[in-house]
Amino acid sequence: MALAVRTSKAGFAKWRAWAPLAVLAGLCILVSLFNSNFLTVSNSLRLLNTAAIPLVLSMGATFIILMGSIDLSVEGVIAVTAVTVSLLVANDLTGYDYGLWAVPVAIIAGGLLGLLNGVLHVRLKTPSFMTTLGVGFAGVGIATAMLGGQTVRISDQTFRALSLGRVGGVPMAIWIALSAVIVAYIIQERTRIGRWVYAIGTDETTARQAGIPIERTRILIFSLAGLFYGLGGVLSAAQFGQGHALISQGRLFTTVTAVVVGGTSLSGGVGSVLNSVVGVLIVVVLANGMVLMGVEPYIQQGVQGLLIIVAVALSLDRSRLDVVK
Amino acid sequence: MEHIRTMLPPAVLVAMVLIVGLYDTTFFSLSNFETVISDTMSLFLMATGLTLVIMMGGIDLSVQAVASMASCILAVYLPELGFLAIPLAVLGGTIAGLLSGFVSIALRIPSFIATLAAGGLVTSAAYWFSDTRSVDIAEDLTGRYLNWAVGTTLGISNDIWVGAIFLIILGVLLGATPFGRYVRAIGAQERAVIASGINVNRVKIATFMLSGTMAAVAGVMMAARLGSGSPTLANEFLLPAIAAVIVGGTAITGGVGSIWRTLVGALIIQVVRIGMTFMGVSVFTQQIIFGFILVAAVAVTMDRKKILVIK
Amino acid sequence: MLPALEMKGISKSFPGVKALDSVSFSAATGEVVGLIGENGAGKSTLLKILNGVYKPDAGSIAIDGRNVEIRSARDAFNKGIAMVFQEQSVISSLTIAENIFLGREEEFLRFGLISKARMNEAAAQELEKVRLKIHPGTLAADLSFSDRQMVEIAKALSLDTRIKRDVTILLDEPTSVLEKKEVAMLFDIVRELKQRASIVFISHRLDEVLEICDRIYVMRDGRVVHESPAANADVHTLHQQMVGRQLQHEYYREEKQAQPSATIALKVDKLSKAGIFQDVSFDLHQGEVLGIAGVIGSGREALARCLAGYEKVDGGTLHMGGKAVRLATAHDAVGRGIGFVPSERKVEGLITPFTVAENMTLACLSKFTSGGIISGAKESAIAKDWIAKLGIKTPSTKTMVVSLSGGNQQKVVLAKWRIAGVKILILDHPTRGIDVGAKEDVYSLVREMTAQGLAVILLGDTLDEVIGLSSRILVMKDGVVNASFNAPAGGKPAQLEIIQHMM
Repeated sequence: MALAVRTSKAGFAKWRAWAPLAVLAGLCILVSLFNSNFLTVSNSLRLLNTAAIPLVLSMGATFIILMGSIDLSVEGVIAVTAVTVSLLVANDLTGYDYGLWAVPVAIIAGGLLGLLNGVLHVRLKTPSFMTTLGVGFAGVGIATAMLGGQTVRISDQTFRALSLGRVGGVPMAIWIALSAVIVAYIIQERTRIGRWVYAIGTDETTARQAGIPIERTRILIFSLAGLFYGLGGVLSAAQFGQGHALISQGRLFTTVTAVVVGGTSLSGGVGSVLNSVVGVLIVVVLANGMVLMGVEPYIQQGVQGLLIIVAVALSLDRSRLDVVK
Repeated sequence: MEHIRTMLPPAVLVAMVLIVGLYDTTFFSLSNFETVISDTMSLFLMATGLTLVIMMGGIDLSVQAVASMASCILAVYLPELGFLAIPLAVLGGTIAGLLSGFVSIALRIPSFIATLAAGGLVTSAAYWFSDTRSVDIAEDLTGRYLNWAVGTTLGISNDIWVGAIFLIILGVLLGATPFGRYVRAIGAQERAVIASGINVNRVKIATFMLSGTMAAVAGVMMAARLGSGSPTLANEFLLPAIAAVIVGGTAITGGVGSIWRTLVGALIIQVVRIGMTFMGVSVFTQQIIFGFILVAAVAVTMDRKKILVIK
Repeated sequence: MLPALEMKGISKSFPGVKALDSVSFSAATGEVVGLIGENGAGKSTLLKILNGVYKPDAGSIAIDGRNVEIRSARDAFNKGIAMVFQEQSVISSLTIAENIFLGREEEFLRFGLISKARMNEAAAQELEKVRLKIHPGTLAADLSFSDRQMVEIAKALSLDTRIKRDVTILLDEPTSVLEKKEVAMLFDIVRELKQRASIVFISHRLDEVLEICDRIYVMRDGRVVHESPAANADVHTLHQQMVGRQLQHEYYREEKQAQPSATIALKVDKLSKAGIFQDVSFDLHQGEVLGIAGVIGSGREALARCLAGYEKVDGGTLHMGGKAVRLATAHDAVGRGIGFVPSERKVEGLITPFTVAENMTLACLSKFTSGGIISGAKESAIAKDWIAKLGIKTPSTKTMVVSLSGGNQQKVVLAKWRIAGVKILILDHPTRGIDVGAKEDVYSLVREMTAQGLAVILLGDTLDEVIGLSSRILVMKDGVVNASFNAPAGGKPAQLEIIQHMM
C-alpha cells in the first residue's frame, strides 16, 4: 500500500514515516510464526472485519488530530448514533421501521454532535479536549436517556446486513470501511478543507494570514468527524444487533491509539488517513495476536496505553514544543 | 474579575442550597447537611490532587482509573495484610501518578494524552489485581480496618474528618509552601519559572504523584463505603471530579485556584445532583447536564489571554 | 507617473515608544527601493503596517494614487502588495504548489475537488520566474532553506499574473539565508522583475543594498532621516546617516562607570552553537559592563541565552572561579549565580498575575522558608526593602505586577536577581518598551550593581545604549566576534566605528 510520507526533512524522520508499516509487517510475521492460520484468507477477512469500525472512526479522528486538536467524544457520539439507528429500524422497543432510511438520520445525528463540538470549541474558545470530553459524556447520557437505561434489540435483518451481509465473499462492513477510507482520502488530498487542515495543524498563524477561514474550517472538520463516528455507530448497531449506551466502550482508546500509532502527530500537520489505516491494522493484529497467544483480554487496554505512549514519544516533533502541559 | 471568580462559586452553592431547600424543606437540617457533605467527600478527595494538576496547567484523565485500582488493591489485600493494605493501595496510586508524570514530563507528551494512556495501563493493572471481578470486603474487615472511613467521631461521620484533614494538609501545601507556590507559578507562567532557575520537571512529576495519591485515597474511601472494590468502581467519577475543580473556580488554563474552591465545587456538584434527582431529572439526563456544565464552567473560568492558538 | 505605492505621514506609537514618526515613503514600478536602519529604527513596524498587522495612528497609504486601508495580510495581497518574510512562512506539510496558492485554491477547483495537475502546472510557471527547477508537487519539508525562500518569492510573484496592476513586492532580509551564488541569482530575478513591479528591499547588508537598489531610504528612531539615489551613496555615508545623534554622557551615568576589577567572573572560550555562532571567546570581569553589539542574526541573542542556560551550546568551555562549568539549564545557571533579564519581560521575566513580593522571592524561595512553610513576614520585609532601594512605584508588596508600569516591572525583575544574590547579570534589551525616566533608573541601577562587583553582560536596545553603558564592547556579525572596543568613561568609541563592524 502506498503510504503518504509527510514528515520533516531529516533522514530519521523519513525512516520514521515508514516505521508504522514496518511494525505492521513485523507483527504479521511474528503472529504468523505463532499461528500458521494467521495469513489465511479467512483469518485475514476476519481481521479486516474487526478492523472495519475502528477504521471508520479513525478516519474522522485523523482529521482532528491533523489540526492539532483532539476529540474525546468518540464514544458518546457512537452511543447516540447506535441507539438512534436501533430505535428507528425494526426493533423491540419502538414501533418504527424505517429500514435503511434510519442510517442517514443516525449519521446526521453524529454530524450534529460533531458540529456541537466544533461550535462550542471555536465560539467559546475552550480547548478541544475539554469541550469534547464534556460533549462525549453528554452523548453517553443522551444515549442512556433515550433508552431509559434499557437495551434495544434490532430485528431488521436488512439493516443488520450492513455489517453481516457479504458481497463477493467479503463482509459488507469491510466494503463500507473501505469506502469510508476512500472518501476520507479524497477529502484529505483533493479538497480545500483537506489541505487547510494541514495548513492549520502546521502553522495556524500563517494559515490565517493566507486568508483561510480557520474557525469555519475547524467547525466543519469536527462535524465531518462526527459523521464518520455516526457511520461507526451505525455499523456497531448492525454488527451487534442491538443498541445501548455502552456499545461504544473502549472505542475512544482504540481510535486514538490507532491514529497515533499510525504515525499522525498529536502536534498537528503530520500524518494522513492512510497512516491511520496502518495504525488500525497494527492495533487489530496485535489484539488478535495476543488472543492467539492466550493473553488475557483485559491486558489489551494496558498494551494500547503503552502503544500510545511509545508512538507519541516517537512521533512528537519536540522542537516545536516550547512548554508541554 | 478575580473577585467574581472567587465569590461566584460560594454564591452559587448558597443559591443551590436555597433552591433545593425551597422544594424540599427537609433538606434544611443539620443531619441532612452532614449526609450531603459526607457523600461529597470521595468526590472531593479525588478532585484535590486533580486541582493541583489543573492549577499547573495540565490535566489528569487517569484519576478514575487510579481510584478503581486502589479499591481493588484494598479489597484484595485487606484479608491478608490488614491495615497494611491501605498504604499499599495508596502507594499504588502514587506509583500510577509517577507513571503519568514520567510519561508527560520525561517523554514530553501533553498531559491529556499521557494520562489517558497511563489510565489504560492502570485499568489493566486493576483488572489484574482483582482478577477481572468485583471483590467484596467482608463486614468484619470493614469494622476492624476501615472504621476510620465509615464510622463516626464526635457525632460527625469520619469521612468528613478525613476530608477536613486533607483539606488542611493540601491547603497548607498549596498555599504556604514553596512547592505550592511553584505549582501556581508554573500554571501562571511556566517559562518565567524555568527562567528563575527552578527545577520545574521535579515539581510537575511530584504534582502528578500527588494527584495519583489522592485519587487512590478517594478509591480507598469509596471501597470502604461501598464494601467492595472493582476495576470500574470510579469510572463515572472523572467528569464530576474535573467539573468540581472547574466549577469551584480553578481555571483550566492554570495559575488560579485553591483546594477550598474545589470543596465548594464538589459541594455544588453534589447539591445540583440531589436537586435534579429531587425534581425528577433522571440520572442519565443529569450526565448530559453535567457534560454541558463542564464546558460552560471551562469557558467562564479560562484565561484566554494566555493561549494564542486554542486547539 | 504615479508611484505604485506611497505612504504619507505615517505615525505609529506603542506604549512608551513612538515607533514611526510621520514617515513618508514611495516606490514606483521599475525601481528597487532600499530600506535600511539600525535595529529598532522602525523598519519592521513600517512593514507590518503595509501588511495589515498594525493600523497606523496617522497618515495615509495610496496604491496607484488611490487611498486605501489595509486590513489584513490577505487584504494587502489582494491589493497587490506581497511580502517575503524574514521568518519563513512556508508550511512544511504542504507541497510547493499548495503553498504558492494557499487560500486561493478556487481557480483549480473542479466539482469541488482540487485539480492537482492544473495547480502544479500553474505553480511550475511561478517557479520558472525564480528559476527553481523542482517539481511543484514536492513537499516543502523536503526543501532546503534557500529553496523555501525562493518558494516564498514565487508565492509573491504569483500575484503578478493574477492582478491587474503592477505589483509591489517587499523583501525583508531575503538574503540572510542565501549563499553568495543564490544571492546573485536572486538579484538577477529582482532586476528582471522590476520591469513590471516595484520592489522594496530591506537588508542589513549595505553592499547588497547598494548593488541592487535604485533609491535608498535611511531610517532612524522611527523617522526617515535620509533619502537619495543609490548612485550617490556609499557604505560610509550610509553608516553615518544611520547613527546620527551624539552620545549624552550624563544620560548613561557615565561619571559613575566603575573601573572593572582584574578578577574574572566568567571565562568564555571558543563557545559555538552550530549555524548560530562560532568560537566566541571573552573574559567577563567583575564590575564590568560588557556590551555586545550586533544586528538581528548576528548570534548575540542566542549567545546570551546560552550563557543563561536557556539554550545548549555545541562546543567550547566556560570557567567560573577557575573551574569548568556547564550551563545546560537555567537551573544550572542560577545555581552558579547567573541571572538573566530577558527581553520578553512578561513571558520569561515575571509571573504577571503574581504579587510584587512573590515575584521578587521566586528565584530563592528557600531563603524565606522555615520548616517547609514560607514566611510571609520575611518575604514582605525583603520586598519592602527592595521596593525602597530601587524606588519601585507600587501601592504595596501584594500588588500584582501586571498592574505596574513597564519600568517598575523591570525593576522587580532586577530585584529578584539581587535578592537571589547573583554575581553575573545578563541584560537582554533591558530598556525595551519602558519610558525615558525608567530607563535612566535602570542605568543608575546598572552602575550601582557594577560598583558592588557584579558583572553585567548587556545586549542594548540601541547602539547608543550599548556604548553609553558598557565598559567594553564586543561586536558580533554572522555568528563571530568581529571586533572589540574598550569604552572607558570619557573615552567612548563612536557609533560609526562600531556600526562598520556590525553590517
